[in-house]
Amino acid sequence: MDNDFSKPQRESAFGIIVMGAHTFLQIFKATFFVFIAAFIKMPATTFTYLLLGIAVILLISFFFAYLWYLKFTFFLDKEKQEFVVNKGIFNRDQLIIQLDKIQQVNINQNILQKIIGVYGLKIDTAGAHGDEVSIKAIDETSAYNLKEHLLNRKATVETQVETEYENHLAEEAPFLRISAWTLLKVGLTSNYGQSLALLAAFFYTVIYEGRQLLDVFKIDKDAIQSTVTGMLTIVTVFILIACLLVVLLIINLVRTFYKYFELEISQHKNTLLLSSGLIAKKNTLISPNKVQISKYSQNYFQKKMNMLNMSLKQAHFGQSKKGHEMQGNTLEIPGCNPTERDELLKMILGSAPLKGKTFIPDWRFLNLPIFFKLVLPVAIFLIIAFKIPEVKPYIGIAIAYFIIGILMIYISYRKHRISVNQQFIIKKSGIWDISTEIVMPNKIQAITTFQYPWHKSIDVGHLSLHTAAGQIHFKYGNYTEIKQLVNCWLYQVESRNEDWM
Amino acid sequence: MPADSLFTNETIDLEQLPRYEEIPLKQPHPHYWKIIRINLLIIFGILGVGVGTLLLFVDEVRPNALWIIPVYFALVVIFFLLYYLSFKKRGYAVRTHDVIYKSGIIAESTTIAPLNRIQHIELNEGIFSRIYKLGSLQLFTAGGQSGHIHISGIAIDEAKSIRDLLLKKLDLLENPTTEPEA
Repeated sequence: MDNDFSKPQRESAFGIIVMGAHTFLQIFKATFFVFIAAFIKMPATTFTYLLLGIAVILLISFFFAYLWYLKFTFFLDKEKQEFVVNKGIFNRDQLIIQLDKIQQVNINQNILQKIIGVYGLKIDTAGAHGDEVSIKAIDETSAYNLKEHLLNRKATVETQVETEYENHLAEEAPFLRISAWTLLKVGLTSNYGQSLALLAAFFYTVIYEGRQLLDVFKIDKDAIQSTVTGMLTIVTVFILIACLLVVLLIINLVRTFYKYFELEISQHKNTLLLSSGLIAKKNTLISPNKVQISKYSQNYFQKKMNMLNMSLKQAHFGQSKKGHEMQGNTLEIPGCNPTERDELLKMILGSAPLKGKTFIPDWRFLNLPIFFKLVLPVAIFLIIAFKIPEVKPYIGIAIAYFIIGILMIYISYRKHRISVNQQFIIKKSGIWDISTEIVMPNKIQAITTFQYPWHKSIDVGHLSLHTAAGQIHFKYGNYTEIKQLVNCWLYQVESRNEDWM
Repeated sequence: MPADSLFTNETIDLEQLPRYEEIPLKQPHPHYWKIIRINLLIIFGILGVGVGTLLLFVDEVRPNALWIIPVYFALVVIFFLLYYLSFKKRGYAVRTHDVIYKSGIIAESTTIAPLNRIQHIELNEGIFSRIYKLGSLQLFTAGGQSGHIHISGIAIDEAKSIRDLLLKKLDLLENPTTEPEA
């Protein structure tokens, strides 16, 4: 096997198949409903044309995949410490990535790649444009070799050691392994929000596409609407909500299992290797010093079960990256227990984070949210309720909303804490999911402090720390203390000149 | 790493640290207020022409003139006032190790970007800025959109000298860190 990568080389020839199938699927997905519509509307005689059309698309995608394969080359420039990729079917694009700007290297395998027996390799960079390289087909040894080369830029010459090390990789015992039982618990207790969003998106597309289909079928929409509204009695609504909740839980479980099945973390020289996935196995190698914010969160159920969710946030740059790619920069480790968390934190931060002096917000923290989220809407509702008698029976709900709201805002106030010592900044917040974010002062990029004029006399102000992985806010603190903290952090950042990545 | 062996960890007297909040800040150049006025006049001029033509030529709009015209003038006054206040509230300072920028009409916010975290620097000159020999300086950190510093209305010579100073600092910062590694 070519271990060097110093000469320009193509990806594995299987890449044509992977790429072709990928393009075909993309086109097919985009035109799926058009096809169905055409299929229904067209007379049977033209059915062959339809098949012919699909065949042509298939042929074209594979032809382009072949061209892509011919033009796609990559190599490692050892002298300049750069990874160079040439690509582009019609226009020549050259992508040069400095090795020290590489954030993480992912080795993935989707179903097709699994069947053929190749791997896909993706490079996440800290480039301002969010341009990333993805090699669609590469065999396993080369993939891991390349990964090593890309991430361990200092040990470039010792290929022997690395191949030896390569064999170690499989044997090395992971220090953290998430069992299926834990995953079940995770699936039942967390990430409802994301699943809800997924469900909503799903329903949206179904309704949207369904409408288009109805147009095609020329079905009477009003008839459907009247039957639907006819079905909506209070009992059916409750059944529907119960069904939705069950579906939500199931989706949550399936997603958790799909993403985190057999999650393992092992230490690997200076880097951490994460691998997980049910159908497509995903391996991610990251170096701990590129983690900007380490975060863990826990809700009431999880506290009872003695587990928590961790996420490691890496730098993300620019708005050009799409949402899901931004998420790719956050590594999530669900269902660790506190000992595993401490171990992981020690590995990333160098030492277990100790709590230093804790700062608490002023009680004025409560004012704005109570006014805008509770007093104002409830007042408006009451005014409406006294004008319109039909709304009156629901006043009880408004009162319940008010009480629950006050309780939630009060909890969020009680949990809003920042704790600072020489090495760490620990920020706690949350209402249901209590999250703890840990940053080291050298990861700070910029600091903003602000104060409303009416808080000047009582010395209350706000603080946000900008890091490459997002902001950390501390609201309604003692402004004198905040200013002192800021001066101290500025001193730490400016006097030491440490790398933040 | 040589720094490790020499590492000492004395307690820092927090009171002795330089205080960012006590640094005297420089205000934007007075000519910048002229540029703001020109920009506002252009925007409201275009808006005024649009509203005027609507009032003159569309019959349905004409009865509403009674409130449209006062609202328009009220908006003009409000915008001029707001921009004037925001112009008055801005301030910046360049220290040896960081840049400070203060702004905000109601809430006064101060952003501080350490020089060793600045990724790149941009100097922009608009058409009107060029007439008055002004420029705006943008300092980008890796802290995302909110971590950027955008200082407008600096005299172009000063802006250029700040840029050169910062660039020199950035070079100085990069070189000593790369040399010991090699």
